[in-house]
Amino acid sequence: MATMATTTHFGLFNGIFRRCPYNGDPNTIQHSAISVVRTPIGSIVAQRRSKNKSYRQSYRSCLGAASKLGHTPGWTARRLNTSRRTKSHNITEKVNPEDLALLVKTEWQLSYVTPLYQFRHTQLRSYSRQLSAFITAEKQQGLAVEVEGAQTSFRVSFSVVQGLGETDDDAETVLVQIHSKPVFAGKDEAQKLVWSGWLTCINGNPEYLHSLPKDFTCLPLFGSRGAENLTSLVKSWFQQTFDCCFGPLEINQTCLQWLAALWTNCHIESSIQHLKMIWTLPVEPPLQITYTVNPQDAWELWNSVRTPSLESREEEETARSIDIEEVTRFMQGLMSHFYRHFRLDLSAGRLSQVSSALGSAKFSGRVKMSNSRYVLTTLSLLTECALLKMPI
Amino acid sequence: MDNTVKRLLERLVRRIPSRMLKTTLDKWSRLTATQRQSIDYTESKWALTEKLLAICEENELTVKHIAELEMIHVIENPNLGMWHAFQLMDPQDDAHSVELTQFKEQFKSHLSELIRHVSIKIKKHTDEAVWIRIAWGDTFSRPNHLKPTYVVHYLQTPYVFLSSLTSKQKPLLSQALVLSTRYQAIKDANLSGRKLTAIRDLLMKQYLQVFPTKFPSPLAERNRVVSNLHIEKEQAGSAANRHQMACEAFGDGLLPQLQSAVYKLETKFRDHTNKTMTERDEPFRCVVKFASTNLLESLRHSASSGVASTPVTPLLSSVPLKGKNYFVITDNGPGPSSQMKPSQK
Repeated sequence: MATMATTTHFGLFNGIFRRCPYNGDPNTIQHSAISVVRTPIGSIVAQRRSKNKSYRQSYRSCLGAASKLGHTPGWTARRLNTSRRTKSHNITEKVNPEDLALLVKTEWQLSYVTPLYQFRHTQLRSYSRQLSAFITAEKQQGLAVEVEGAQTSFRVSFSVVQGLGETDDDAETVLVQIHSKPVFAGKDEAQKLVWSGWLTCINGNPEYLHSLPKDFTCLPLFGSRGAENLTSLVKSWFQQTFDCCFGPLEINQTCLQWLAALWTNCHIESSIQHLKMIWTLPVEPPLQITYTVNPQDAWELWNSVRTPSLESREEEETARSIDIEEVTRFMQGLMSHFYRHFRLDLSAGRLSQVSSALGSAKFSGRVKMSNSRYVLTTLSLLTECALLKMPI
Repeated sequence: MDNTVKRLLERLVRRIPSRMLKTTLDKWSRLTATQRQSIDYTESKWALTEKLLAICEENELTVKHIAELEMIHVIENPNLGMWHAFQLMDPQDDAHSVELTQFKEQFKSHLSELIRHVSIKIKKHTDEAVWIRIAWGDTFSRPNHLKPTYVVHYLQTPYVFLSSLTSKQKPLLSQALVLSTRYQAIKDANLSGRKLTAIRDLLMKQYLQVFPTKFPSPLAERNRVVSNLHIEKEQAGSAANRHQMACEAFGDGLLPQLQSAVYKLETKFRDHTNKTMTERDEPFRCVVKFASTNLLESLRHSASSGVASTPVTPLLSSVPLKGKNYFVITDNGPGPSSQMKPSQK
């Protein structure tokens, strides 16, 4: 799908590379120009790879000289921020609790989205009408004769979840809901919510966001819930209307480990009740190992691997920085305790799910946030994952 | 017609797959030849139910007869539902000479003494197993045939397998079993699974076991995938060694199909790199569950492929060795001991 975008709109992006550098540094302009020159228009595979290359170079240049090369062992490495701040958010002050209630306690299937071209937050009503018409048209495809009355009409509503963004650079979160009557409903039955989805950007990398040309809106994380056919229709409409691409977002090992650590970190404020991790081992037949840790013990282990804080007392109370090394030490502690008993190395397998009372996350890209206080932390992490996975 | 009979028969016809319905009904032998021939097994389940209800009414069959049919089906398909293993303890002198008729009489009389309304059916299967179906009632109500308990006991062994037993019924059944088998106590064997045949084979060691030999010969690999001759040659020794140890721990050939094993760990955290945690007095509490379509196969493969270090840790090899799949591990003594604490169900 990404390749389709590049072939049809290569000209557009070509223009961008030349006109809008990723930052004002003349060296980087040179960089981008070179990367463009290097991309042969011929073979698509080569094109794709160099698109990755140019993206990674530009993202790397955004991160500056402090890019931690030690953590990138190759093309397939995902590089998340190696440290992040944790803040307890009194999110109900910023966001409408009703909107928040729509996001929490449901399992969402995640995808990444490339930046949207000419998306206007002011035109949401028009988008609602367009999407509704699109879905109805697609559903009617193949019917030669107009059937009276027995149509399921779809009512689409686009809305904004105000206040969810962390910084001023984050575009406002957009929520899409589709209501429709069930197939064999009576005349007076109200329409029910059959599908919902959202696009968001929380704490997106500011340099990357600034580097995008004016007409592009970056909402890289897409979550959906509902029938698969509706999800693909919504995606097609977005792709057609805003010239973007969707792709599946797998929550990789590092990200899952981050979530395990971040949730354990919150145990003092809101009990996580348990820390459950599921590993899959590649033996025949596949072995699934569920490792559930008592929350208090998990928290004490986490606390014991924290590097002593160098920050002042006040800073420590509000926002303490968590480093990837601490996360790694935490996971290693858990795995070594397991090894001591079973002499089985968990790293031979794959961590496929992490869950606690604050939420759950699966490798397949399904995530659930159960506590509204930690929505922002989780979404920031996932936004980062989405930005890294994007091919452009 | 009695509502219970109707419901029981309906449920039964739903559960029995169409292809097995004919054989099951034939085994039941409560229908005349003409009645059996009149049933068209290609009809829908709903139609079949109606037909059977009519026939049963004709023959004036009661709920006890339908219960018989259910029992035949369950005996043929023992791998449905959840089975729990129990073990009888401390045999009395005549425990080993208890034979079938004596056991049947004793069990029925003891259980009926303990609970007023109960319906018991005992059947002996070809493989020395005694099957008991119990429908429980109480002082005021008739036996509930929709929630029966099934018990399987192998005479002359101390093993009993139970399915669908509530905690209220457990002491009554335990008492009746203990008295009729001439043992003194019964305890939870900490082994449970979906497949009765699997947990039976595991507990009674009816699978291919491998014993340590003084001169191990390299076992022939079953699926030879020759990748690189040099690597093969280099790894042959250690691979064969791992395979031998994996088989010693878990057995050879086809292994009983156990689905899961649960370990409740309450041991202290010991890691020389982490001083804070090592100095803690309290145990590090966690629960580990291993799950697979065939757990013992998975464990054996993980040992032979090196994912699990060999020699296999006693925690994992206890599953086939002790015939258990629920363990509570505490810090008693040098090694993990799984029998110090009684486990709760």
